[in-house]
Amino acid sequence: MKSLKRWGIATAGALAATLALTACGGASGAPVESQAPAPSSSEAAAPAELTFWGWAPGYADSVKAFNASQSDVVVKYEEIQPGSRGGYEKMLNAVQAGNAACLGQVGYETLTSFAAQGALEDVSQYANANQGEYVEFAWNSVKVGDKVFGAPVDTGPMAMYYNKELFEKHNIEVPSTWDEYKAAAEKLKAADPKIKISSPYANYDYAGMSWQAGAPWFGIEGDSWKVSVDSDENKKVAEYWQSLVDAGTISKAPMYDPAWFKGLGDGSIATLVGAVWQAGVIKGDAADGAGKWAVAPMPQWDAANPSVGNVGGSATAVLKGCETPEAAWKFANFLSTDADSYGNLIEKAALYPAAKALLDLPQLAKEDKYFSGQKIFDVFKEEALRVNSDWTWGPNMPLTTTKLDDGLNKGWAGNGKLVDALVEANTATVENMKSQGINVAD
Amino acid sequence: MSVVTPTRATIPKPRGNGRQARTAALLLAPFAVIFLGMYLAPLCFAVYRSLFVLKRDGLGLTAPTLVFDPFTNYLKAFTDPVFIESLGRVLLFGVVQVPIMLALATGLALLIDSRSARAKGFFRLTSFLPYAVPGVIAALMWSFLYSGTSSPINALLAPLGIEIPFLGEDMVLWSVANIVTWGWTGYNMIIIYAALQSIPGEILEAAKIDGASAWNIAWNIKIPMVRPALILTAVFSIIGTAQLYNEPKVLQSVSGGSIDSAFTPLMAAQAATAAQNYPYAAATSVILAVLVGILSITFFKITNRGSDA
Repeated sequence: MKSLKRWGIATAGALAATLALTACGGASGAPVESQAPAPSSSEAAAPAELTFWGWAPGYADSVKAFNASQSDVVVKYEEIQPGSRGGYEKMLNAVQAGNAACLGQVGYETLTSFAAQGALEDVSQYANANQGEYVEFAWNSVKVGDKVFGAPVDTGPMAMYYNKELFEKHNIEVPSTWDEYKAAAEKLKAADPKIKISSPYANYDYAGMSWQAGAPWFGIEGDSWKVSVDSDENKKVAEYWQSLVDAGTISKAPMYDPAWFKGLGDGSIATLVGAVWQAGVIKGDAADGAGKWAVAPMPQWDAANPSVGNVGGSATAVLKGCETPEAAWKFANFLSTDADSYGNLIEKAALYPAAKALLDLPQLAKEDKYFSGQKIFDVFKEEALRVNSDWTWGPNMPLTTTKLDDGLNKGWAGNGKLVDALVEANTATVENMKSQGINVAD
Repeated sequence: MSVVTPTRATIPKPRGNGRQARTAALLLAPFAVIFLGMYLAPLCFAVYRSLFVLKRDGLGLTAPTLVFDPFTNYLKAFTDPVFIESLGRVLLFGVVQVPIMLALATGLALLIDSRSARAKGFFRLTSFLPYAVPGVIAALMWSFLYSGTSSPINALLAPLGIEIPFLGEDMVLWSVANIVTWGWTGYNMIIIYAALQSIPGEILEAAKIDGASAWNIAWNIKIPMVRPALILTAVFSIIGTAQLYNEPKVLQSVSGGSIDSAFTPLMAAQAATAAQNYPYAAATSVILAVLVGILSITFFKITNRGSDA
């Protein structure tokens, strides 16, 4: 009897069933939070009360600072599990049950999926006035169509992390275009076949490449979605990386695998084209790379018209059922734009601001020892302002990225073509949307 | 089995019927509640849920509605090449891996049971030990041994110019089979060994006096006598195979795409759940459960034919 295994699987099954149960019928176990009784429109003296669910370290301090700064709104902060580890489930279930918090921390890539579950509240009437305070692409990340679902908190503009020591040793110029990047890959390989220019990119890390290239995956045209994961622009990106795979210049170590960290540390992986928060990832898990790595702008397709991609970042979203959306927006905007409170978030959670005015915070002007004293945020500031603003996430990203990864992993391993991954992901996504009755433009 | 218990308790003493029935009910209650709440209820709910489909309109930016449409999910599952392929894959896995594992388990049990065996306790414990390692931990350990970037096995073989593609498309299923065999052989061995222990000594004695060799005793007496234990372990292994999840899921990230998101039926159901399509995930789970049920019952029927053991 495979009882242990069966037990584990049974537990997983029971869990899934429970999730399904709560998702369907409002039998959620989440405690009922006291909703603020007074709607914000009534000019009563009692302050509006609302609850905020999040997990980033430092959010509790920001809530305290907000509550101290004014007397109209009282925010109660409740720390929940990070989204992918159950936080999103909790929010979706609570919305179904009608006892969700007013505000929740939601990643940009998940925001549209939340909207597709009917879990968000449109606050455009309060929010639009503040639009100008945010970098454009971040603002677009909290918008679906004309609706605004929250305030952008942080972003993940991309740049190129590279092993400076390696490039200097082999006397290779730091690439500024993708053509130069490919040439550098070949030179490094010629110098030492063990050196790979980079490693496989999957799901959202890969999306950043498409984002930069002006190759959107989704778009909205009137009342229909446009799915373009396998568009010609996207094929161009995939074919570029395919040529690097075919040339044997891409490592086999998947990102975030121990082998990947080893490669970053020992000089067998020369670059990582990734978001600002990857700095923390590298520093934490590739300690051997200290003093070797540096940051340069993301290589360009067209040096004359520089454009940058984004990976990650999150919003303070207004969840469905919030009775005080105006007060909720007031706090969300404070969290994203107050300099003192955001300085604390940079220190505690390594967030990178979505508000333009905060890009010059002193916390972002520090020299970094790991990067041999480079002020890496100087690079990211320039990059943040160049991030392509034309990007929309689809209504079911888990489905799209799962299918995409199935194919990409094969492509990176040399068992298939990266382009095929795009076609498969596109087909599966369109089929899924159509089968549920969502309008998809051809 | 548990259903039999109250009947047995009531037969010998008809007079104390009422009280005994109450006692039996009381004793059964914890099991019944947990069985109903944790097993039957989710099962029924899965069946119920599988009869609906998700419907949206426009951009789909509002909550989907559930529409009763009892056949769509099942039709979709039976025409979904990805799901059918995953069923075929675990079937192939079971046909090859289960006999190998049970043969190994039986062989080990016979060796430990044999008269001339030394250090029985030691061998019993060591062959059982892999079972004590939680499945996910074991899979992580094996992923390190298999991975193209870290495999010490391939590092040792490298000077000979040999590289075993443990995670290659053609081999990965058997690499998973190896992990499962490693983890479960000892467990099955213990069950078979326990059955061997219960064979009456006089039978073996008689066979020995009649001049049967150790080989003959094992083949003609011991194995037929532990047949119920073999059938039991086989059925549990069939069920376990259908539920294959942990090992391939852990290997997926290092497999270079050889293991995709729908490698086994459970992984396919999990992927459908992640994509927020609970009704479809429920339908595939129900299909899997029914197939396993049919397979197990058929296996019981076939193996019990002409035997009264």
